Amino acid sequence: MRARDLLADFPVVGLDSPVIDAARLLAEQDLPGLIVVDHDGSPLAILPGTEVLALAVPAYCQDDPALARVVDEAHADGFLRALSGRTVRECLPPRPRELRELPVADPDATVLELAALMARTHSPLVAVLEQGRLAGVVTLQALLERALAG
Amino acid sequence: MSVLAWVSVAVFLGAYALIATEKIHRVAAALGGAGIMLAIHATDAEAAFFSEHAGIDWNVVFLLLGMMVIVGVLKETGVFEYLAIWAAKKARGRPFRLMVLLVLITAGASALLDNVTTVLLIAPVTFLVCERLALPVAPFLIAEAMASNIGGAATLVGDPPNIIIASRANLSFNDFLVHMAPMVIGLMVVFVGLCWLMFGRSFSYDPERAAQIMALDEREAIADRRLLWQSLAVLALVMAAFVLHPVLHYEPSVVAILGAGILVAATKVTTEQAIAEVEWPTLVFFAGLFVMVGALVETGVIGQLSQAAVDATAGQLELTTMGLLGASAGLSAIVDNIPYVATMSPIVEQLVQANGGNETAQVLWWSLAFGADLGGNATAVGAAANVVVLGIAARNRTPISFWQFTKYGLIVTVVTVTLVAPYLWLRYLM
Repeated sequence: MRARDLLADFPVVGLDSPVIDAARLLAEQDLPGLIVVDHDGSPLAILPGTEVLALAVPAYCQDDPALARVVDEAHADGFLRALSGRTVRECLPPRPRELRELPVADPDATVLELAALMARTHSPLVAVLEQGRLAGVVTLQALLERALAG
Repeated sequence: MSVLAWVSVAVFLGAYALIATEKIHRVAAALGGAGIMLAIHATDAEAAFFSEHAGIDWNVVFLLLGMMVIVGVLKETGVFEYLAIWAAKKARGRPFRLMVLLVLITAGASALLDNVTTVLLIAPVTFLVCERLALPVAPFLIAEAMASNIGGAATLVGDPPNIIIASRANLSFNDFLVHMAPMVIGLMVVFVGLCWLMFGRSFSYDPERAAQIMALDEREAIADRRLLWQSLAVLALVMAAFVLHPVLHYEPSVVAILGAGILVAATKVTTEQAIAEVEWPTLVFFAGLFVMVGALVETGVIGQLSQAAVDATAGQLELTTMGLLGASAGLSAIVDNIPYVATMSPIVEQLVQANGGNETAQVLWWSLAFGADLGGNATAVGAAANVVVLGIAARNRTPISFWQFTKYGLIVTVVTVTLVAPYLWLRYLM
């Protein structure tokens, strides 16, 4: 079995989408993560759900876990409101993403290749590219279902 | 000078330029320089590893190592977040009062800990508080970086240049308390006044916002009370042992290492966690610097420079002191003050000897320390704390530009260094 047999369509977000919309997409469609594409549709970043969340958490709370504890319940409940229209572009960390390996595979990748890639990049989804264009994604769930069935 | 001496000078200047311009990692520059010095026989293993005057200063390396472990544990306890939020509540959300308290906490903390750790701890909580009060965060961050540089000057362990000076000059923790700390306290009073002139006048107070500050719960910042008390007790013990050096006769490096050892042995902190808190690249950087400077000592370059300095300033201690203060401040504004002080220490040692080697002549050490510590405030790249603050600001999407920092930095440096000159004059040279 190859990646192309496991492909599923997948919603993507652009760099200029508001982060709040990205979070909504994740929640409403029960997705494991999101793919950020640039204007010609090629993937720039593949963000597991926890990294989409990281876009929305104030940097000072990520730098210093103690600070998340001191915030009172009323403000803590409303932390997403503080995003007020910020776009994905503004929230993506400035540089390191290019240095990191993207969970990207070609349609011929085997199940083991995909599984190894997911495990290595801590990503519950792999983007499958055909000639540089996004052909679809393989999710952790789809991969496990097929692997267990086999 | 011999050919070897000239080559060693070239290697040294090359490495220095690489460190200053950050073309390559500073550890690579320092180790590369040290490696070439050893390869061309400008120095040898005997001198590099075992010589007190031309080798790695293990007192400095182990003092830093021990303090890194202690501080690493302490910073996990949440005590700084507790203090900062407590201060914000005490200030009742009044912006300038808040700035004064944060600046005083930063200065006090950086007298005991290193400056970078202090600003790393205070900056995130500053973002939280300023966001609540809808205040611009940049003035607070700039003031905190400067306060850490000024406060760090007060003690032997407050700033790495002081650690190097103490070891090379055989000065004790108490010497720094007696000669540096009183003036640093004075400088902090002046600095608070400068903060009012530079920033405080433009703040506006919003009672509604201020009320929201009171909803923060500082007690939640403390994750583990037991560990907090244990690590504060170890820090207190370490400080007491520093002060009691005349009675106990433990070198500061020994005190710090013993303190770190007790912390690991007596608390739940594991050896792995303690080791993870050590900034090994910094320690290796120091080692590389010492070997490079040691090579200049071995090839006689430092000796010749010192002799030239002694001849040029013969008998004019006043002029030498003021010149050293000004030059140290000027150079530390542009290059990292650690390599500067590492290089200058053997030269200042000769100058002190040439001026009689007594307490009056030691004014040169204080002049070097004040110049190097305070000069770091002048530009955004003058001190490690400044660089760290600019980095944190950028990551939080409120970037502070080089000139935004530097325009305030120049004012603070000129004022503080100008005040130190009469202090040194009146206290040591009259």
